[in-house]
Amino acid sequence: MNKSGLVIRLAIVIVFTAVIVGLITTQLFSRFTFVNEQELGKQSIKQLYSTVSPTASIASYLNDKGLAEEVVNGLISNDIVTAAAIQTETLRVESENYQKSTASVAFDLFSPFQKDNKVGVLFVKINDSYLAAKANKISATNTFVVAIEALIITIISILVTYYVITQPILNIGKALHLIRPGTSERIKKPHSHQQSEIGQLTDDVNDLLAKAEQQMLREKSLRNEVQVLESKFRMLFENATSAIVLVAPQGDILLYNEAFEKLIDKLNLSLKKNYGQYLEDLFIKKKVLHEQILIAFANNESAAAELELISYQDDKIWVQVLVTRLITDDFLESYQITLHDISKSKYKISLLDQKANYDGLTHLLNRQAAEQHLRQLTESHSPFALIMMDLNDFKPINDVFGHDSGDELLIHVSSQLLKILRKADVLSRWGGDEFVIILPNTSREEVIKVCAKLAAKLSKPYYLSQYDQSVFVTASMGVSFYPDDQVELLELIRSADKAMYQVKKEKLTNNDLHLAFTHDPANIENDSKRQ
Amino acid sequence: MSHIKQVFVILLLALFIEPVSAKEPLVVVVNKDNPVEQLSRSELIDLFMGKYVAFPNDIKAIPVELNSDHQIKVEFYQNLVGMPLSRVNAYWSRLRFTGRKRMAVFKSNENDLIAFITANKQAIGYVPQSLITKDLKVVYILNE
Repeated sequence: MNKSGLVIRLAIVIVFTAVIVGLITTQLFSRFTFVNEQELGKQSIKQLYSTVSPTASIASYLNDKGLAEEVVNGLISNDIVTAAAIQTETLRVESENYQKSTASVAFDLFSPFQKDNKVGVLFVKINDSYLAAKANKISATNTFVVAIEALIITIISILVTYYVITQPILNIGKALHLIRPGTSERIKKPHSHQQSEIGQLTDDVNDLLAKAEQQMLREKSLRNEVQVLESKFRMLFENATSAIVLVAPQGDILLYNEAFEKLIDKLNLSLKKNYGQYLEDLFIKKKVLHEQILIAFANNESAAAELELISYQDDKIWVQVLVTRLITDDFLESYQITLHDISKSKYKISLLDQKANYDGLTHLLNRQAAEQHLRQLTESHSPFALIMMDLNDFKPINDVFGHDSGDELLIHVSSQLLKILRKADVLSRWGGDEFVIILPNTSREEVIKVCAKLAAKLSKPYYLSQYDQSVFVTASMGVSFYPDDQVELLELIRSADKAMYQVKKEKLTNNDLHLAFTHDPANIENDSKRQ
Repeated sequence: MSHIKQVFVILLLALFIEPVSAKEPLVVVVNKDNPVEQLSRSELIDLFMGKYVAFPNDIKAIPVELNSDHQIKVEFYQNLVGMPLSRVNAYWSRLRFTGRKRMAVFKSNENDLIAFITANKQAIGYVPQSLITKDLKVVYILNE
């Protein structure tokens, strides 16, 4: 049982109180009884005196020893008397154990015939110890009765307290222990306490439980809402096709989604905790990324860039990178980086680009692209030589062997021409059997050399397997220099074209001629003459 | 019964009243040759109640009593100790058990009593005043 339990505590208090009250009561009672018994003793002595007084008076009057002894013996035969004595003028009779020193009660004895004639004194010694014993006996009985009473009161008090107060409270406590807060469970009100304070307590506890239940239900529904929202967000995040990563300012990855995992896997890289600031290690051109971010963040915007990822695969992976700076409520900075795979569209764009700028047959730059390239060069004022080339005798071959053979020949020519040209040089199909060659940073001598090589290469016959016949073409070339000959692009082209037609015209007479310059210092006069 | 008691009481009262109304006092007398001239009331009581058996002059005294409940005897004790005769008798009965013997001479009437005192110097007795002779000496007069 609990040491500090209500019943034990109450029992201790009641027992303690009962003992103290009992002690006080018995003490008081004992004293009272003792005094009372002494009083009763005196009363008894007086009664004894009145009983023996006639005889004692006669004995005293007559000084009769025998009669006096009779009286004395009669007196001491009482429990209440220890000793007695009769004293007259001439006679003294006392009991054996009579001691003068101890206190005694004295009664005057008068003559039986003359009431005013004192004839002697009767001494009686009261048996105090007998009285005390008697008083003690009564007190002991009282003490016993009080003790029994106290015991009964204690037991009844404890039982009543236990069954009326403690047990209901304990039951409520036990019930409370078993109750799960937030459920509809309630404590049962004890039958005997419908209106009492314990009943009130039960009601209050139940009210509290009801409130707790409401609160918990509300919290539960809120939590559910949050969970639903969270799962939605998670779904959104996890199923996003773009890789989304949250990184700390030093580059530590805080959060990433499945798409990012897949992307890293695609790059044949291992998943690491840190890929440098803004994931820079993943990009080939880190510098571009940093520049973009610097500019964007300065304007409080998200940085965007299209960058190629490092990859150990053959396929190039391009992504659109979006870096957004996030500041949390507690002023911590982090970056949300979205990597959107644009490889496919990039590829499509490159295909379109190919279509738009390249010739479908020869895969050389088309006229439009060549013009664009030329415009770029003139805009940047880079010097170059422009060679306009036209194939001779192509038309008859086309007519005789058909377009397919013509096309075949054109492809062959293109490949032959490319073999001669340097990497920086540009070869484009200007249209039909016309080609434009751009040689940057070149001299007249070099142009002559290159053109001779080109002409030599073309002069070799081409075998048409379909017709089992070899064909060959020649070319006429006109050259103009930028910016020496012309600054205006159209004029530059026209002058090269003019020079080329000049060659074609003169070829009828001079079969070896294949090249002409817009301004030939040696031929200026010739040219002007010819014109 | 109560009537009988009432009558008895009245008769008894009549008995008491009669001598008083007669106004004849009782006297205590001795032989005229007895040297005692007068006795006090206490001395009388001591002699008749048995405390002393001698006169104050140490001469042996012989109290003379009337027999049983003689009217004069009743009157005498009533006058001397204020007690009815029954109580006086009870007193003597009480003393008899202790071994005390009464030193008294009993006479059946006044004349015998007077004759005894006349013949005996030590005797002392009580008689109505009217019966006094020249051979008797009055030592005490009661109910004066």
